[in-house]
Amino acid sequence: MRIRLVVALLLLAAPLAAQQKIDRRIEIAPDASIRITNMAGIIRITGWDVDSIAVVGSIAAGSGFFFGGKGQFSKLGVERRDETLAEPGSTLEVKVPRNARVWVKSGTANVEVTGLRGEFECTSVSGSVRVEGSLKLLIAESMEGNLNASGPMDVVRLKGGAGTVTIRGARGDITATTVGGAIVAMDGAVVRAHLETVSGTIAYDGSVDPRGTLEAVTHSGDVTLRLPPEISAEFDLESFDGAVFFGLMAKGAEKPFKGRPLSFVTGEGGSHVMVRSFKGEIRILKR
Amino acid sequence: MNCAELRDRFDAYVAGTLSEAESVAVESHLDTCIACHEALANHDRALGTTATLPRSVSPPTDLWPGIEQELASRRRLRGRVTLPGWLLAAAAVLVIVVSSAGTLLFMRRLPSASPPVQPSNLTALESQYSAASAELAEALERARPHLSPETVATIERSLRIIDEALTESRQALAKDPGNAALGQLVVAAWRQKVDLLRRAAALGKAG
Repeated sequence: MRIRLVVALLLLAAPLAAQQKIDRRIEIAPDASIRITNMAGIIRITGWDVDSIAVVGSIAAGSGFFFGGKGQFSKLGVERRDETLAEPGSTLEVKVPRNARVWVKSGTANVEVTGLRGEFECTSVSGSVRVEGSLKLLIAESMEGNLNASGPMDVVRLKGGAGTVTIRGARGDITATTVGGAIVAMDGAVVRAHLETVSGTIAYDGSVDPRGTLEAVTHSGDVTLRLPPEISAEFDLESFDGAVFFGLMAKGAEKPFKGRPLSFVTGEGGSHVMVRSFKGEIRILKR
Repeated sequence: MNCAELRDRFDAYVAGTLSEAESVAVESHLDTCIACHEALANHDRALGTTATLPRSVSPPTDLWPGIEQELASRRRLRGRVTLPGWLLAAAAVLVIVVSSAGTLLFMRRLPSASPPVQPSNLTALESQYSAASAELAEALERARPHLSPETVATIERSLRIIDEALTESRQALAKDPGNAALGQLVVAAWRQKVDLLRRAAALGKAG
């Protein structure tokens, strides 16, 4: 009995013992380019006002940690020693200079980013990507995971697949595409937005720059745009096999239109709102 | 298309004003050229920064007293200057031309990312997309062993969704061949398919 207990405790302790704890730091330029790789597990990146990179975390058994660079460039991450084995997942918590240009590669690892003001680019297979901050440029793609961007970013390019794309507080130029995932953009004040999905839904709640454009394209997903009632815009709405409801000014019921394009101008025009769908419903509502 | 030719087309590509054939050529070059990919990202950043600049800048309100004083002192020094009528007229025309061009430029709406597709261009365009997607599907087959079963299932599901959308849009377009907006939806579905295949093939290659 005692021997069995000892063996069981040893088996439980083995993976813990095999995990490698890391705590490393190097100096780097405040606007350095930093490449981070972790295929499975979690990557947390935080921008800070210090000209160095600090990494803490735990590296899964069978994987190694690499970290190097100086001046304008640094590279760090986790690599599997045996590529044929599935990686159980490593955790990296990385602090980088706020204005750095950060590039991340993930497989299934979830990525969380806060406090950056520079540029961030991420490619993931099925991990989720969540970014908060006032970045100059955000580019992220995930085939299966959710993509979430929050903050007054200048340029946002999000490519999803099956997951949901959520954008909150966008101010500049945004492009978001998915295949089946929904696209939700809230509290936006966009200069140019192009939202495109095949079967997902699109929901936009915000304003459009007086000379800006807002475009939404779906095949079968419904589109709902909530806009300020005083918006001056040219509207160009068309769903071939779905209804179009325009309730921006109406005090009473929305009027449904079907089977024909709907083009009109509110106020003096200026911005352009274009929606195309094959069989999704289009709803233009007031915020 | 080489790197120099590609970079000459950055503005038009980002603005979405390239022909679809040129867009496909640009994208296939970008898929294989890291230098151009980074150059485009830099270009995109510059555009983003420009887009966030203020639309107008008001001069400080306390400038005028200084200017007035300066003008008064110059008038005192030089006396009255008389310009011939023809010069004043030419100056007026110049002011009108410059200000109109400026207004046009300033008021120009940002270009659409989904420009309408002329039905006459659609056949050629579709054959290019079709060839590109066949090539990428082969690349995906080669990459398949490196992808997890879950990822493969997601890719196949996504491709089915896109193919159904493509079939429906094309059937509708066959009944109404002059409909440019339907053409836009057909092209959007092709673009999604080529993009999905490219990303999926790249994942397998990287994995």
